[in-house]
Amino acid sequence: MRSYLLKRLPSAALVLLLASFVIFAILRLIPGDPATSLAGPDAGPEAVAAIRARLGLDQPFLTQYAGWLGDLLTGDLGPSYAIGGEVSELIGNGLGATVELTLAALLLVVVLGLAIGLVGATTRRPWVAGALRALTTAVLAVPPFVTGIALVLVFAVTLGLLPPGGHESVLDAPDLAVQYLLLPALCLALPSAAILGRYVKDGLERTLAEDYVRTATALGVPRKRIIRRHALPNALPPVVTVLGMQIGQLLGGAVLVEAIFAWPGLGQLAEQGVVRRDYPVVQDLLLLMVGVFVLVQLLTDLVYAWLDPRIRWE
Amino acid sequence: MALLLTRRRRPGLLSARGLTGLALVGAVALAGLFAPLLTSYDPVAQSDLALAGPGADHLLGTDDIGRDLFSRVLYGIRTDLLISFTAVPVGALLGCAFALLAATSRWADMSVQRLFDLILAFPGLILALAVTAILGPGALPVVIVIALAEIPGFGRQLRAGILVQREREYALAARVGGASRLRVLVRHVLPNAVDPLIVQGAVAMSVAVFIEGAMSFLGVGVRPPEPSLGSILSQSMAYLSTHPAFAIAPLTAVTALVLGFALIAEALNKGIRR
Amino acid sequence: MSSTTVAPAPADRGTRSVLEVRDLRVAFGEQEAVSGVSFSLAAGDTLGVVGESGCGKSTTALALLRMLPSPGRVTGGSVLLDGADLAALPEEALRAVRGKRIAMIFQDPMSSLNPVLTVEQHLHEALLAHGRTDKAARRARALELLDLVGIPDPAARLRDHPHQFSGGQRQRIMIALALANEPEVLIADEPTTALDATIQRQILQLLDRINRETGTAILLITHDMGVIAQSCRRLLVMHDGEVVEQGRTAEILTDPQHPYTKRLLAAVPRLEEPSRAAGRPDGTPLLEVTGLRKTFPGSGRFGRRRPVTALGGVDLVLHPGETLGIVGESGSGKSTLARALVGVHTADAGTIRYLGPGDPARRIQMVFQDPYSSLNPRMTVGQIIAEPLIAHRLGDRAARAARVADLLTRVGLDPATADRHPRSFSGGQRQRIGIARALAPEPSVLVCDEPVSALDVSVQAQVVDLLAELQRELGLAVVFIAHDLAVVRQVSHRIAVMHRGLVVETGDADQLVTDPQHEYTRTLLAAAPRLTVVRST
Repeated sequence: MRSYLLKRLPSAALVLLLASFVIFAILRLIPGDPATSLAGPDAGPEAVAAIRARLGLDQPFLTQYAGWLGDLLTGDLGPSYAIGGEVSELIGNGLGATVELTLAALLLVVVLGLAIGLVGATTRRPWVAGALRALTTAVLAVPPFVTGIALVLVFAVTLGLLPPGGHESVLDAPDLAVQYLLLPALCLALPSAAILGRYVKDGLERTLAEDYVRTATALGVPRKRIIRRHALPNALPPVVTVLGMQIGQLLGGAVLVEAIFAWPGLGQLAEQGVVRRDYPVVQDLLLLMVGVFVLVQLLTDLVYAWLDPRIRWE
Repeated sequence: MALLLTRRRRPGLLSARGLTGLALVGAVALAGLFAPLLTSYDPVAQSDLALAGPGADHLLGTDDIGRDLFSRVLYGIRTDLLISFTAVPVGALLGCAFALLAATSRWADMSVQRLFDLILAFPGLILALAVTAILGPGALPVVIVIALAEIPGFGRQLRAGILVQREREYALAARVGGASRLRVLVRHVLPNAVDPLIVQGAVAMSVAVFIEGAMSFLGVGVRPPEPSLGSILSQSMAYLSTHPAFAIAPLTAVTALVLGFALIAEALNKGIRR
Repeated sequence: MSSTTVAPAPADRGTRSVLEVRDLRVAFGEQEAVSGVSFSLAAGDTLGVVGESGCGKSTTALALLRMLPSPGRVTGGSVLLDGADLAALPEEALRAVRGKRIAMIFQDPMSSLNPVLTVEQHLHEALLAHGRTDKAARRARALELLDLVGIPDPAARLRDHPHQFSGGQRQRIMIALALANEPEVLIADEPTTALDATIQRQILQLLDRINRETGTAILLITHDMGVIAQSCRRLLVMHDGEVVEQGRTAEILTDPQHPYTKRLLAAVPRLEEPSRAAGRPDGTPLLEVTGLRKTFPGSGRFGRRRPVTALGGVDLVLHPGETLGIVGESGSGKSTLARALVGVHTADAGTIRYLGPGDPARRIQMVFQDPYSSLNPRMTVGQIIAEPLIAHRLGDRAARAARVADLLTRVGLDPATADRHPRSFSGGQRQRIGIARALAPEPSVLVCDEPVSALDVSVQAQVVDLLAELQRELGLAVVFIAHDLAVVRQVSHRIAVMHRGLVVETGDADQLVTDPQHEYTRTLLAAAPRLTVVRST
């Protein structure tokens, strides 16, 4: 396994490096000079030049890029341009809320996805299968901003059960925090849960049609045990891959969900960074997302290999 | 695209699912298409009557600056469909072009795969933020984001199809019969590999409406006063508790479109696998 | 061998009926697949069920334990196991019978074993299903079973997964699973079809030993008369969902009564029959292969596959008008050789010299094994046959159409069918289309890679006859690749035997079979199933 990791790490690092370069280069291609907009309309050329020098914008492109990479390695990300404060601090502030949201959503995705898939593939009642199929289609297609608004309309506006938005720290008030967390996490989780559920269902249906399931049936193994012990383990590896992809989607979806539910996380920070053209914030956040994605891919492959004994690491 | 359009009958589309999807998409699309006939209000004309409820004058009421909501939703549908029908074919063509390029050599295949990975490494909305960070908000970035986001979907689908079909014995037989590599690819492999692309097309339309909505919702998409379903929804957010009717019409239109396209995709897929 | 596995043969062996099937009917939706099958299986007996694809033999086997794939269901009749009707038993009661009193093994041992479970886990599942809850006892039984079916060093292999065993060993493990709960009846559905002849022989010997030592009655379903002849005392012939003839194997093989049985037996190629290839072509070779080598690089996502040497230096000559048979088991390199001959694989070393007239790319054509995947489903038959003509720029549109019609007639198909798609043809007809396509650019060499092994015996005979006829009329040289020695002897002038990427022996077809020189050729000949009855008592 170690040698497998060693083999994969260079390509993961390469993707990361490539992505960092693409992100950096693209942001420098943007028309307009951040220093000019930062200095304000009344500033003279000296003031702009001073800001350029302070931000290192007068350096050659590659020097700036190398400087950024160096900052990344030391963990000191420097000041933000427009939002104010240190980038590391801004990211640190939002990170907790976003991690909280995505982890809660991930938990829902796994639980709901497995439940939808298991019931959908094994139920003997056609109407249950039909209803689940219709539900997954709907949930999968409908974007989070639609479900989000619908959830708020139903649970917050009409029923008044849950707050329409906002955030409470888990440490200070766990009960309140859960109330605040419930709608956004559900809203974020639903499409991914539907996708996962569909893969679990398709995978189970496929494996239940395999010859080795027929073997187990012929040996008199009870159906429930066949599903749990013989079919499910074979259906899981592709599901793990999909789950890995969905973690990326959750991070992206978080931007939207945070906007709907006024959730103070990285998504809000990213949105602000883009709207206010704060390049350090945007480039660091983008790279963070790519980093998480690459890491998740790596983990996915490892779990995949662990689940499937036919794949060896050597 | 010619290949996509000349395919045989699709019995899957005539299933209950397919017909429901067609009806949903058809109803919404027709409403958008005949917008000038269905309403006499200018979608961007403001009036003093802000946040009026549904009534005889304004079928769905007015928005926060007194514009007719019914008119805005109808024209918003136009905007969404225009964007989707521009962006998806562009993404599909680029994706297929890359897949064909990948079929030429091992090296090209590696590069194309890495490119797809790179695009996929950015979840759709992150991609959206990145593109608008460069271009600023507007309809063009939305088109670009949708096209970009669809490239790997089409590309991977076609690449996988080519890889599978190329190993089938009939492709081998064509080579033994003396056909050139290009002829094997175009005459034998491609016609057998394009079916999933049609399904992908319907999925992509659904995703396109989704992305437009999300970007406009975040304020990085179609710019006001131009109506789009996402931007109307975005405006309605502030009045959700006081004027819920404001959100319901655009919500219904978006849902009908994405659900309709998704249902069509499912029906087509079932028809192929049959 | 422990006393629990080797039950003494029952005293009433061969007389008391353990399984009695009466008028069994199975339908898939509206379509009836089994129309009133009746037979009885005596305790400790061996009964073979033979028939061609689609005759309902496997469906019958699955119906006995009500394991039919949807939408199949038993629509009538009874399956009596010691008087209890399995067809009417509730699901849970039937589950208790499956694996405990009647066990099954299947065709493909790779897909029939669960890839994520170890051998020990497999055996535990089988034992646990019928209430063996003592873990230590289960392990002891597992070791005993693996020993019984001849897995060497069972203790060391309990934790291995199916993919770590060879094909033959996997089928042995399947048999161990089936025997775990000492069933009275073992149903074997095409148990050796996916295996090489040498392995097939070992598995049949194992089944035979188990039948003798444990007294388990065996119901063997197969398409291969040779397999039945070797291993079953009684025989039942099925055709179109019905039993056309049943009785003692020895009697039916020597004196078949029903016309279908007669046709079937006549179509089976027999190893004892001399070659039908006329003349003795020699002189200047048409094709000369020297020192051909091909190694496939290792691959796979996790870099787990090692490089495979498919051809390790092959020398061959082919004369004009000659049929050269190439036999070998799976992995011997015979398909790689075929593909190298037609230029699909480029060899790493060695030469293929075509000494005849014209462009070798046009003059060497190929007939493929799989009549389903070798024809492009999107093209009409006419387009498929015209493809090589277009590729080699032969004739205009009208000339091509005429040529297609001519070729279709030549292979025994109606020229009017040229505008139909492959899906509307049967397997044998599709193979004829494949032959017509290969003949289109007027080849002088035809490479046939297992051209009949996917076909039923009666269809096989027709296609072989067609190839022989075409060779005579067109003076073709044919490379006929197959794993079935009997077919190869029948059609070939000379035979080359391949083993692990090398030609180990080449010789006159009849001489090679009657007087083999190489050790491996002898093994292969010994393993080939023959229609002579081995078990008569």
